[in-house]
Amino acid sequence: MSEDFKDKNIIQAQSSETISGSGSGVSPDMDYVRPAEIPEQDLYHGHSFITKWVFCQDAKVIGVQYFCLATFTGIIGLILSWLMRLQLGFPEAAGFMTAEHYYQFVTMHGMIMVVYFLTALFLGGFGNYLIPLMVGARDMVFPYVNMVSFWMFFVAVGVLLASFFVPGGPTGSGWTLYPPQAILEGTPGSGMGIILMCVSLALFVIGFTMGGLNYLITILQARTRGMTLMRLPLTVWGIFTATVLAMLAFPALLVSAIMMSLDKLLGTSFFMPTILKAGEVLEYGGGSPILFQHLFWFFGHPEVYIVALPAFGIVSDLISVHSRKNIFGYRMMVWAIVGIGALSFFVWAHHMYVSGMNPWFGFFFATTTLIIAVPTAMKVYNWILTLWRGNIRMNTVMLWCLGFIVTFVNGGITGIFLGNVTVDVPLSDTYFVIAHFHMVMGIAPLMVIMGAVYHWFPLVTGRMLSEKLGKWHFWATFLGAYSIYFPMHYLGFIGVPRRYFEMYDSPYMTSAVGMNEFISTAAFLVGAAQFILIFNIVKSLKIGKPAGKNPWKANSLEWLTPSVPPEHGNWGERLPVVHRWAYDYSVPGAKDDFIVQTTPPSEVVHTKVEKT
Amino acid sequence: MSDPKIEGLELKPGFKGMASDTASDQTMFKGVHWGKAMMWIFLLSDTFVFSCFLISYMKGRASTPVEWPNPSEVFALNAFGVPVPLLLIAIMTFVLITSSGTMALAVKYGYERNRKMCGWLVLATALGGLTFVGMQAFEWSKLIHEGVRPWENPFGAPQFGSYFFMITGFHGTHVSIGVIFLFIYAYKVFAGHYDNGKKGWFTTMKGDYVEIEILGLYWHFVDLVWVFIFAFFYLW
Amino acid sequence: MHAGIIFFLVILGSVLFHIFTPWYWTDIASNWQSMDDTITLTFWVGGGVFVAVCLFMIYCVFKFSYKEGRKAEYKPEDKKLERILTWATTLGVAALLAPGLIVWNQYVNVPKNAIHIDVMAWQWGWQYRLPGKDGKLGNTKIVNINEDNPFGIILEDPNGKDDILIQSDVIHLKNNRPVKILLRSVDVLHNWYVPQFRAKMDAVPGVITYYWFEPNKIGEYEVLCAEYCGVGHYAMRGGVKVQSKQDYENWLEEQETFSDLIAKQNKIEFNEKKLAKK
Repeated sequence: MSEDFKDKNIIQAQSSETISGSGSGVSPDMDYVRPAEIPEQDLYHGHSFITKWVFCQDAKVIGVQYFCLATFTGIIGLILSWLMRLQLGFPEAAGFMTAEHYYQFVTMHGMIMVVYFLTALFLGGFGNYLIPLMVGARDMVFPYVNMVSFWMFFVAVGVLLASFFVPGGPTGSGWTLYPPQAILEGTPGSGMGIILMCVSLALFVIGFTMGGLNYLITILQARTRGMTLMRLPLTVWGIFTATVLAMLAFPALLVSAIMMSLDKLLGTSFFMPTILKAGEVLEYGGGSPILFQHLFWFFGHPEVYIVALPAFGIVSDLISVHSRKNIFGYRMMVWAIVGIGALSFFVWAHHMYVSGMNPWFGFFFATTTLIIAVPTAMKVYNWILTLWRGNIRMNTVMLWCLGFIVTFVNGGITGIFLGNVTVDVPLSDTYFVIAHFHMVMGIAPLMVIMGAVYHWFPLVTGRMLSEKLGKWHFWATFLGAYSIYFPMHYLGFIGVPRRYFEMYDSPYMTSAVGMNEFISTAAFLVGAAQFILIFNIVKSLKIGKPAGKNPWKANSLEWLTPSVPPEHGNWGERLPVVHRWAYDYSVPGAKDDFIVQTTPPSEVVHTKVEKT
Repeated sequence: MSDPKIEGLELKPGFKGMASDTASDQTMFKGVHWGKAMMWIFLLSDTFVFSCFLISYMKGRASTPVEWPNPSEVFALNAFGVPVPLLLIAIMTFVLITSSGTMALAVKYGYERNRKMCGWLVLATALGGLTFVGMQAFEWSKLIHEGVRPWENPFGAPQFGSYFFMITGFHGTHVSIGVIFLFIYAYKVFAGHYDNGKKGWFTTMKGDYVEIEILGLYWHFVDLVWVFIFAFFYLW
Repeated sequence: MHAGIIFFLVILGSVLFHIFTPWYWTDIASNWQSMDDTITLTFWVGGGVFVAVCLFMIYCVFKFSYKEGRKAEYKPEDKKLERILTWATTLGVAALLAPGLIVWNQYVNVPKNAIHIDVMAWQWGWQYRLPGKDGKLGNTKIVNINEDNPFGIILEDPNGKDDILIQSDVIHLKNNRPVKILLRSVDVLHNWYVPQFRAKMDAVPGVITYYWFEPNKIGEYEVLCAEYCGVGHYAMRGGVKVQSKQDYENWLEEQETFSDLIAKQNKIEFNEKKLAKK
């Protein structure tokens, strides 16, 4: 098969030369693209229901599977947050809730949202669906491994949820799982709960490594003809860099999970110093709790960017498509993504300014942390400069993007507070931190996810989502979420510490009662608003407007498949050949306001398109 | 292996070549098999796992309040009534490094399509690995016999036992997985799967001797990690 | 259009909220006014950037909303503009970082005349130890802790004998005199935090961490645990009483030293033995 494919490609390249020669009188080799280096990928096509939809090797199906499972766990995380907010806002109505429950919900909410929802959704969901389509591949390079990756994730989620049903319940040690308290009596779920958490995280890391290898090799080694790295849509750049971060950061999580399980199960003392509990000295000694914090945050900080970078990439593409304008400063955007990714490995201890580590580290980590602000700010400028002099379609997708810019800039600015070591001292471990990270890595990426859902739903299902419902969904979510987290910063200024089960007996906290009630009410509404999306999806699947090909008039390859939704193998007979970047919108002299990536130069010689 | 030939692209040496490969379309690493690229990236990730283990070990060793035991005494082996420090470890290291040599030869014969030699050398590598794991089991049982446990250690700091068993155990697991795969691959070589391009069990990719090289990368990595473990545990 | 108006109202609302908020920091009661100042500086610079970026975005929404037939500008890059923005941002960030580092330098360097206070934390409570006449705290060991030696002081350490033990969760401080808080924990992580003093640091079992401040306002304050420490975290409170020099010394007089405690214990033991003999 590979041999005739090569021939076919050469023939095709020649034929495009002859076609392009007609009319415009240009030299025939201006459309020349090197022949394929690699023979065609041989795909396994499922025949039964099981091989087609369950143990499926098609990256698109795996992407949807990831998306659905991550959303399912995300809804559990949402319900947990409702319960927490009920306790904080209306404790008299939450009589069934003990402090143990509260801390368990806090922990599981955090872990689910960060790892099992956002990471899995961006990389597993969008990554699987979009990478092969956007780089012009038939599938991921190792479809079988890719399938196993999803089912590993499935088992990891199963183990995580199983911890709700074991004696003692799930761990309640905070999502950071700090020892010694994580494995000692006095913390809920310090028995089976924490062990299952460690096992689940290890499974997640293993499963993710399988997927991550696929994403990286597909992007590096399986691009279609003409697709250079600097022609990739920023979505791919974001997912690529995030995956690199994940491959290098998850090892630290794996190691800390292994070591903590050993401390719990075998009685080793990696993280356990001499401890006196209830008048008795425990059989631990000589370990270092701060070592765990270093390992955890060496994972934890890149993790923030594992969530943020795909969001950056996706939102860049959405803004560009819907303002009918090329993304401003594409190369700067790429370097900013790569630079942020690289720097994110040198800032981890800014989570530990008041952890009792050597205070002299503060100087170094404050400096590196604030350096990251520069490429991040550049990205923000480029987003708004893309809007400037654009032709902005004010549809639902664009609304989510604008919502993203507002929440992200807000959360980014408060990040400068917390990264700057002195400013962090009064604010760390207060509600200011909660407000900051929810704004910047909760709400902002969520805005992008929602925008991406409205943007790519037509591709995945062939039908449009309802704009009217979409706008209701957006305003409810954006206004609600903003009114949850913006005022919450001020609780932090007062000094209200985080992870307090109740706090009405302190003089300066009583003033927060009203605000807590308000925040809780907003939280219930925002959560409920998400069901508009589910209703919209269900409704549109049945009676949505058929999307047709390329409904948004976008340039990138995923919209150029011969059938919508794309079939297994994506491209039908022939792989696409790429001649340009994904951002040739509104080129002066062109007939339409977009030039798709496969348009050969000879067709647009009369336009002022810049060489890319 | 000679440089790959890429139609329509001139491959240049040095940084210039790297830059032009990166800027080109289709692939970043020209002529590199997908599986091989994957193995390199996986090994990079695995390097971080072992680095985290070893850095934790250094931190643990530096900050433990009880004194760290003297490795040349703990790991001494009685040969003919004389305690020889590091005797067993020296043999283990020698065996593992030798198996790396046989692995490299297997790759060479594989690319020369010398099925028999390649098969025997893969098998020899597997046996070397198996010997290593066996000797490690012996060393573990000796230490356990002497009272060293993950949670306690009669010679000094309990963290010695914890880190030793955890890190050598994790490395030993890597070796064992490698040994299993070496046996499978030896079978596949002898059965001719790489000569006639038979597809593997879980993949639609055709069998090729490049798989021997990919496994070889893993094996050399495991060997290299051992050198670091050796240096940090036995020589420090 | 409506979207732009709503976004504008959100930004306006945020600014108004900040101006009229009844929720803001408590009156400062320590020397760390400089921390408040860095926060204020960051607030004005950061808030300014936030408002500027959002207003620009809203302007774009109004000005460049979709019109059939209009073409957007085609300008892939503008090197000069990008360079200006990069340098301006770098300068702004450096301007925020510099004061932060200067104040942090003060935070990690404790003044020589600071009174050392041993703050001992456990699940879930606090107790305190002050140095005696010699001005030095005796060394401690967790395994030494028992009913007779609640702080685990090493008996052989001569510095420990005159240490003043305060087995209560309320500590008194002398106004306008720096204190160095030496934190230790016998079980899990804790954090001794008084919002009015601004400063905080985790207590980590196995090591002694520290920070310092100078209380400068007489009054009573509540101590909160600011690092999650298990199910009783939210209830782990203590108290601080900042007093004038005279009041503080009167209070100090009444406190028990370690040798007093030992003598008392011995007396009790002696009496018990006597009783037993009878």
